[in-house]
This record gives sequence, structure tokens and C-alpha cells, in this order.
Amino acid sequence: MMNKTTQTIGKSPTATDVGIVSIQGLLIISAQLALLLLLFRQFQIESAAFLRLAILAFGGFVIHALLPLRLRLPFFTTLSLAGIGIVLGFVNGAWLVGIGLVLIGICHIPTSFKIRATLLLLAGGILMLQRARLIPFPWSEAIWPILGSMFMFRLIVYFYDLRHDKTSGTFWQSLSYFFMLPNACFPLYPVIDYKVFRRNYYDDDAYRIYQVGVDWMVRGVVHLILYRLVYYHFTLAPFEIMTPAALSQYLVSNFLLYLRVSGLFHLIIGMLYLFGFRMPETHNRYLLASSFTDFWRRINIYWKDFMQKVFYYPAIFKLRGLSTTKALVIATLYVFVMTWFLHAYQWFWLRGTMLFVLQDILFWTILGLLVVVNSLYEIRFGRKRSLVKPVQTWRNVAALSLKSYATFWFICVLWSFWTAESLTDWRSIWSALGGKYSWEVLIFPLIVLAVIVLGNIPRDSVRNIKASKSDPKAWGRERLATVAILVGLIGVSIEWMHTSLGPEVATFVHSLRSGRLSRLDTAKLERGYYESLLSVDRFNSQLWEVYSQKPANWLDVENANLKRFTGRFAQMELVPSFMSVSKWGTISINRWGMRDQDYSEAPASNTYRAVVLGASSVMGWGVGDGETFEALLEVRMNQEYRGKPFDRYELLNAGVPGYQPPQQLEAVDKALKFKPNAIMFVATGREINRSLSYIAEVVRKGIKIPYEPLAEVVHKAGITSDTDEATALKKLQPFGREVLTFVYGYVADQSRRIGAVPVWVFLPQAREGVWQEEVPETIAIARSAGFQIIDLQDLFKGHDISSLRLAAWDDHPTQKGHRLIADRLFDAIQANRSSIVDAAKDMQPVRLQ
Amino acid sequence: MEDGIKETIKKYILDEFLPGEDPNNLTDDTPLISGGILDSIATLKLVMFMEERFGITLAAHEADKEHLDTLTDIVRLVSEKKS
Repeated sequence: MMNKTTQTIGKSPTATDVGIVSIQGLLIISAQLALLLLLFRQFQIESAAFLRLAILAFGGFVIHALLPLRLRLPFFTTLSLAGIGIVLGFVNGAWLVGIGLVLIGICHIPTSFKIRATLLLLAGGILMLQRARLIPFPWSEAIWPILGSMFMFRLIVYFYDLRHDKTSGTFWQSLSYFFMLPNACFPLYPVIDYKVFRRNYYDDDAYRIYQVGVDWMVRGVVHLILYRLVYYHFTLAPFEIMTPAALSQYLVSNFLLYLRVSGLFHLIIGMLYLFGFRMPETHNRYLLASSFTDFWRRINIYWKDFMQKVFYYPAIFKLRGLSTTKALVIATLYVFVMTWFLHAYQWFWLRGTMLFVLQDILFWTILGLLVVVNSLYEIRFGRKRSLVKPVQTWRNVAALSLKSYATFWFICVLWSFWTAESLTDWRSIWSALGGKYSWEVLIFPLIVLAVIVLGNIPRDSVRNIKASKSDPKAWGRERLATVAILVGLIGVSIEWMHTSLGPEVATFVHSLRSGRLSRLDTAKLERGYYESLLSVDRFNSQLWEVYSQKPANWLDVENANLKRFTGRFAQMELVPSFMSVSKWGTISINRWGMRDQDYSEAPASNTYRAVVLGASSVMGWGVGDGETFEALLEVRMNQEYRGKPFDRYELLNAGVPGYQPPQQLEAVDKALKFKPNAIMFVATGREINRSLSYIAEVVRKGIKIPYEPLAEVVHKAGITSDTDEATALKKLQPFGREVLTFVYGYVADQSRRIGAVPVWVFLPQAREGVWQEEVPETIAIARSAGFQIIDLQDLFKGHDISSLRLAAWDDHPTQKGHRLIADRLFDAIQANRSSIVDAAKDMQPVRLQ
Repeated sequence: MEDGIKETIKKYILDEFLPGEDPNNLTDDTPLISGGILDSIATLKLVMFMEERFGITLAAHEADKEHLDTLTDIVRLVSEKKS
């Protein structure tokens, strides 16, 4: 019920006005929420599903605030269930809720704690087997990450509180705790404590709770925009770190990617505030941590509290017989072992596979030991605490800043170790210290220092303080800051506003407004197809989220036994006469090791024959036999060109998934025996870098390079099988153009040697990204090699990409995508018919020097 | 009895964790855990002191904000345990 006369904005509630907000207050909050929605939209915050969920939440907030208190939890639960339906669909949502109700129900069976715990473990075990796909399940894979994030930790907390808490919660509290509204959109979710969730419900003035919720959501958006700034503009791959300046950029940007987690957690908890849940802060200015213990206390506070409650205190109370120091050391190390284990457990529920990576183990061990040492120091020497704001002098600020600065850099180094793809990768970045020093080496250290000093200057803050305790002036300043940030960001996001500031500013703002993968993650995603590289940054990466949606049984070339090792330079080839029925249709390989019809070795008379070289897009990853663009193009050419001038047209699909440009050297040699009239080389982007990666790979594996120019490059770069990947790539970088020039030259020369027309086709990826970087240079190299060029860079422009690519984690073309490629290729061939088709009639082998 | 418990606890907190602090600043409802005065190590020290001084035994789940966040909470917990 709303009290229009007595409630004043910002005062602590009395027993009778709990949850009541004035009309004025409600309007102020609603206006800010409307701006926030606009901000979400303008900056494409998270996903389209999140925007829908935010509309539901903000609309629901107004109704919720007007309802009598007793109806609010049921309403919030209903809204939460509706949110699950909106994001996952009715059927999947119903499955998720059904499974959840069974798990909650088990907790409340009127029997002993041990029996309930056993039943829960049993139910969890069955679900784990299903998650690992060892037992079939009737629901969609899409619900696993959300089901996991709702129950994997909260069920532990809930069960713990049921056992120990004297005041058990109500039915609506239980439901709202597990199915809470924002969770449907977020697989990564803070571990909210059940007791705090209940205890802090409307324990302060309602208006103030709502306002803090808005503040935190705005703060979350700011974190996410800063994250994008770092993610798009500053992240580097290990092989790009050549100088000390690049090294400092890498260390800082790598750690700052965590801004995404802190941003999302602020958004999530801020949204809960709108429904009266006055939760504690999730993060407390973690960049300012002045020791390892301080860092552990400031970053992901909910995780620290969860570990403390469920593992640390129970362990230390059990070890009371030992000395305090021994008990503390054992309990702290136990917490870090469990943190490592639970991260692997979390990964399992979200991804369906186990995560046991050496860096993970070492990272948590090192951090655990550092926290132990720090704790022992605190036990011995104490920690400075004060009930009043201490008088800060510049000397104090300087001392504190120095400590924070040292902690920051140490954490950056540790973080780089944790998130490195391998230990050798991590070791390789330090060779940059021997690189060229310039003034740029000071940029990041100075920026970090400035941020830390400014952050450590004391100021009045109302962070998470109840209304009765806050200073009205500070409270007013924070209101002003929230509205100023909201209006400022929306203003900047308006197109005419940022375009009027010049093209560079406009491009920069545009980059911050779009939610996409960075160039490095796009490259990793592309590599993921080819090399099954799934060691993406564990818990702070957008790429990780993309992968988390990928079903465990997504078509895997290695597992499907589609390829076999040859022991030669190209390493792999398709297994002749292989056949498999995949989710996408039949995959049939002919006796020549091509995914195609069973052609004769030599073409029949008056037949035009072209061999199409390429990788998975050519082979037709994700479509059935006869649905590849090569097969469709062949049908079209036979329909349109029969008898003009050839009687028959044959396109031989020599695509092999995972093939990099240098592997086509072997493929073109194999193609010659089929006596083609044309050899069509299909390039898909990053040709130079992918070539270098492949050279580094074969050198590392000790595979003989039978091509003298490539062997010479390896010699000049000074790499051997002992050189780690990142170092090898660094050393090969200067030879990128040379390598691709040789590859293209060889393919074109071999074609001409047998009188075939060399045609080079550029096939883009469905999404904008890193593939675009090398396109102009690649086209120039192909042209110099003497290829006929067919550039399809604009192939996907103006099309709905979601219908043209297989999935968010797999950019390979769908059936519709292949049809589009075939049509565009036909048009291009038609436009160049005289040189690509008709000329073949008269073309003679060329004797090359 | 409760006043005696409160004074004992207050003196311990002031001596152990807030040396030099004006005792008037530590009121009955000063937030100790949520205010950052009692971190996990300090909480354990306080628990051990309470157990030894008042001859009570605390459980792990009682070492939380609900039971130890203010002097009032702590006194209530000790009184319950003693009775």
C-alpha cells in the first residue's frame, strides 16, 4: 500500500511503513529506470534477451512497489518465472522450474538431514550424468547453464541454512531465492546467501533501497563500458608482446577484463534491489586492494562469504584442538583448494566438461599461500581499524597508494599466469622485457598510479549504508552522479552527437556501443573450429560464454573419425570412403578422400573440371551431402552452361576441415592428377597469420618441411622444435608476407603447369571481425601470384546473419548460407566466364622455369 | 548480568582490535562485521575469547552477522548460551 502523506524520501522505515514509497519517490525511480532502459538499448548491454528481461523487471517494479507487502514476494516469484519463460521459452522454462522444484522439494522432505542429503546427492548425481550426456534427457541443452547457475551453489547454501537456521524461510522466499528474476539471463551469477537474502528484505527505507539499486545498475553499465574499452582496444595476444610497453599493456588489460564480472554482478544485484532485497556489495573497489588478504576480501565478496560460511568456519571450528595459527593455515588452504575445485565444478555445470588446468591449480595454490602469509602477518601485527573516519594526510595516502600499487601489479602478473593458454605461452611474454624501451613503457604504469592515488583519496561515501546512517549531502551527491552518468552516456550514444565530433570519435563510441567478440576472441573462436582449442579464459571471457552455449555433442571432426594422419607435411586428410550420419545430414567421402561424388580420375571428354581447395566451409561443415556451395554451384553450372562450351561441368570438393594455407600446397599437388581446367583456392581470412601458425606448428612437431622457401623462412626466423608457440609466432611475424607469397605462387604455378586456370575466391566470415584485417594485403598477394580474383567480402552484408551461420559459436554457413555463396559464385563466374570457363577450352600446359 | 557481558566484550574489542579508539564511538549497534571491524580472523579471535571467558561453546554457523554484528547481538548470543 502506498502512503501518500507521511512517508518522506530517504528515512529509515518504521514497523508500519516497511516497503512504502511515496508517489514522488516512485516517479523519480521510474524516470531513472526509463533512462536506464534507454542506456541498455543504446549500448547493447548484454543480449537482446537481457533487454526484454529488463523491460519485464522495470515494468514489474512499478506494480510490485504498489502492492501490499504480503503480495510482493509471490509477485516477484511470478515475475521471475515469467522471465525464465521469456528467455528460455515455455517448454524449456517448465523443465527448468520442474527440476528445480524437485531439488527444493527434496530439501524439505520430513525426514532426517542425512537422508535428505543423500537424496540430494543422488539427484545431483543423476543430473551430472545427464549433463555429461551419459544419460539421455528430454529437455534442451540450453537450460543447463541456467539450471546450473541457479542451483549449483545456492542449493548448498540453502541446505546449510535449513540445517542451522532456527527461522526457516517461507515457500515464497524459497522460490524467489532460486528462480530470482535476473538469473535467467546470466550463467555467471553471484553466490547469494539465503540468510542475507531473507534478512535484508526491506530492512531500510524503500525509496532508498530502490535508488541504490539504480545506482548499482548504472555502476554496472559503467564497468561494462570500461570493460569494452579494454577488451576491444587494449588486449593483446602473447605473440604480439614484443616490447616492455606492450607487456605492461597486456598485464593491465588482461586483469581489467574482470570488469565484466564486476559489471554484471552490479547489474544483477541492482535489479534485486528494485524488489526490496538490500544485498551487500558484490565488489568493493578491488583495484585499490592493499594486500592479498585485502584483495580476497574486496573481489567477489559473495564468493568469499560463501567460502567462509560453508568451508572456512566449519573447518576452523573443527580444528579448535590445534593452535590458532595451525588451524588458520589449514582452513585457509582448504578454502583455496575448494575454490579451485568449485570452479571446476562450476565449469562442468555450465559447459558439460571438466576443467582441470595446471594454471588453475597453481593460481589458487599461490593465491592461497599469499593469503595465508598475509593472515599470519595480520595475526601477529594486527590490522589498523577505526570507527571514525581517520584523518588522512598526503603521507598516509602515498603509503597506502604504494601498497595498492604493488598489490595491483602482483595480481596482474598472477592473473596473466592464470589466464594464459599454457605455461609456455606465459613464459614467452617475459622475453619482451629484453625488447626496445621507449617512453610508452610509462603509459600504463602512470595511468594505474593515477587511478590508485585518486581512488585512495578519502571522500564521503554512502556505500551500502542504511538511510539512518548516511550523510544527506553525500547521498545527494551520489544521486547527482548517477543521473549525470545516465544522461551523459545516453547523450554520447546518440549518433548525431558522436558523429559530430569527427569520424575517429564516432568509430570509437560505436565500438563501445556494440556487444561483440574482440579481434583476439574472434581469432580464438575461429581457431576453435580447427584445433579444438577450448582453453579460453576461464571465467571472465565473452568467448567463454559463447562456448558455454555450445552443446557438448556439437559436430566434432576429430571425434567423428572423418580425418586421418598422413605423417606428411599437411598432416591430415579425409578418410576415403568414409560415411557418417551427422546432425546436419550425411557426410560421404569418396574414394579420393573428397566429400563429393565418386568421379573418375580423368574427366570424360568435353568436361569442364575444377578442383575447389579450401577448409571446412568448402568441405561443408554443418550441411549434408549435396548441400555444399560447391555441389550447388556444380548443379547450377550444368543447368546454365551445358553445351556452352562444355557438355558437362564437374567441381571436385577438395576441402578439408582445419586446413591452413600451407596445407593446400599438398592439396594442389594431389589435385593435379584429376586434370582440372581450373583450380579454385578458397581463402577465408587471416591467411598470413594462419600460415605462420601452421609453420610454427609443424616446426614444433618436428615435421619435415619439403618446400625449400618455407624451410628457409624457418631457418631465418631461428625457430626449432624447442621454441614455444608464442615465441615462434613472434619470430615468424616478419616473414608473413613471404610465406603467403610462396604458398599462393606455388598453387598458381602448379595450376598453370597443367594448363588450369588459377582462381582465388575470398569467402568472408559471417560476422565482422579479425578476418578483415589482412584482406587487402592477401588480395594483393593473390593477384601478384596470377590468380583470377573473386572477392566476396560483401557476401553477408544486408542479410540476417543468424539464419546464415550455424550458431553463435560456429560461423560456418547454414544450408541457406551455402545457397547464397553458390549464387554469388555463379554470378562472379558468369561475369568472368570468358577467362574462367571459356578460356579453359583452349588452355595449354605452361612450362615454368 | 547483560551489562557485565557487554562491558567485557566491549573492552576486549577495543583493546584487541581498536587500540586508542574513543570507547564512546563503539555503541551497542555499531556494525562490527558489516563495518569491517571484525574480519574472519578477528571474528575467530573474538569467538575464542567468548568461549574461554564465558565458558560457552559456539558453533561455526553462529560466527556470522546475525549473531556477532553488534554488541547487542553478541550479548544476546552469550546470554542465550549461558542460560
